[in-house]
Amino acid sequence: MFASRTASSRLLASSSTKVASTSQIAQRAFSVSATQQHAAPAPVPPKQALKEFKIYRWNPDQPSEKPQLQSYKVNLAECGPMVLDALIKIKNDLDPTLTFRRSCREGICGSCAMNIDGVNTLACLSRIDRSESKPQKIYPLPHMYIVKDLVPDLTLFYKQYKSIEPFLKNDNVPEGREHLQSPADRKKLDGMYECILCACCSTSCPSYWWNQDEYLGPAALMAAYRWMADSRDSYGPQRKEKMQNSLSLYRCHTIFNCSRTCPKGLNPAKAIAQIKLELATGA
Amino acid sequence: MLTRIGLASVRSPVTSSLIKPALVRGLKTIPQPPGFVVGTVNEAYVHPKPNKMHGSLHWTLERGVALGLVPLAAAPLFTGVSTVVDSTLSAFLLYHCYVGFQSCIIDYIPSRVYGSYHNYAMYLLTFGTGVAGYGIYQLEQKEGGVTTLVSKIWHA
Repeated sequence: MFASRTASSRLLASSSTKVASTSQIAQRAFSVSATQQHAAPAPVPPKQALKEFKIYRWNPDQPSEKPQLQSYKVNLAECGPMVLDALIKIKNDLDPTLTFRRSCREGICGSCAMNIDGVNTLACLSRIDRSESKPQKIYPLPHMYIVKDLVPDLTLFYKQYKSIEPFLKNDNVPEGREHLQSPADRKKLDGMYECILCACCSTSCPSYWWNQDEYLGPAALMAAYRWMADSRDSYGPQRKEKMQNSLSLYRCHTIFNCSRTCPKGLNPAKAIAQIKLELATGA
Repeated sequence: MLTRIGLASVRSPVTSSLIKPALVRGLKTIPQPPGFVVGTVNEAYVHPKPNKMHGSLHWTLERGVALGLVPLAAAPLFTGVSTVVDSTLSAFLLYHCYVGFQSCIIDYIPSRVYGSYHNYAMYLLTFGTGVAGYGIYQLEQKEGGVTTLVSKIWHA
């Protein structure tokens, strides 16, 4: 008797957990099987919300043709909330020749950096403006050589990043144990190590527009300071010595476009100001 | 380069001669490598030679002079005109202007594009600064300095 009661209660318990789990699934899924028991409601036609996108097009195969803005109409009811969703939808459904970079679609990789409604940002982090009255304009990153459509040539950007030696340099690495760092020293790197090198900041900087072949630009300079500020790196003086010319660092005129546009909310202008201060005071 | 960025059609002889003023057409600029890429794509960018006079010392002097201008400009309001303060103010102001224009030349007439024109612009700036310096000397000698001149204009 006793045994059977426990068995039945166990059965009950297991069945109740089963119910809970199905209702959880029902909450998560879009289709709820329970509603099928009721009378089916009259099918509502999906709401049309046609949004116009004007996208910069240029094809290297026809180099004599001017770049132009091409207009696409996307039904927002069938599209995700972000600009990148719209771009992918255009490429899938409307025009497979549209070219752009994208990878992670969640603001981690920095591939889909482009100029959306006049602001350098990541297409995957930027919401579609829902108002249908105004078209949304999408250009590649400004003042860069264009490979095709929305793809800028970032070769120089990466060469600049390489020039600041973005890796730990230390001649006395401790043998057989971790390279320790105090929490306070680690805190100095917060707000710098998160940079994903999307090039939004550098290409928003007028100084970088005019002199990008000699001025490093905010992204590379913040990366440079990330290694100068690292307590485990012993090549700080050599790193700073590289900046001692009128072009690499001092073309920064504190315009602050870099900090305004950063899609990750970082502050490259502060890092550049820190480099200037440390170079001046010899710290 | 225009072809590379898809602007080849802009390069018709009629439009270029219309758009570009005579002075710019006369200037021979140095053609830049495609994409500004020097060497192979895998080589790092090479920084210019380090020189503190163009780096941190220049920056410190620039900021120091700019900060120094604030009390110097305010001093004559409280102490009255003195030749020492006035000469210092004029010299600081002159250097401040010199550094500002020097920055403009580095930004907009870079030697990598304009070659020797960069140097000519710098010579012109140095010459202009020299003339202005002589003018300040004359002002100090005959008119009682910049501060007196400003107060005269103010009351005129």
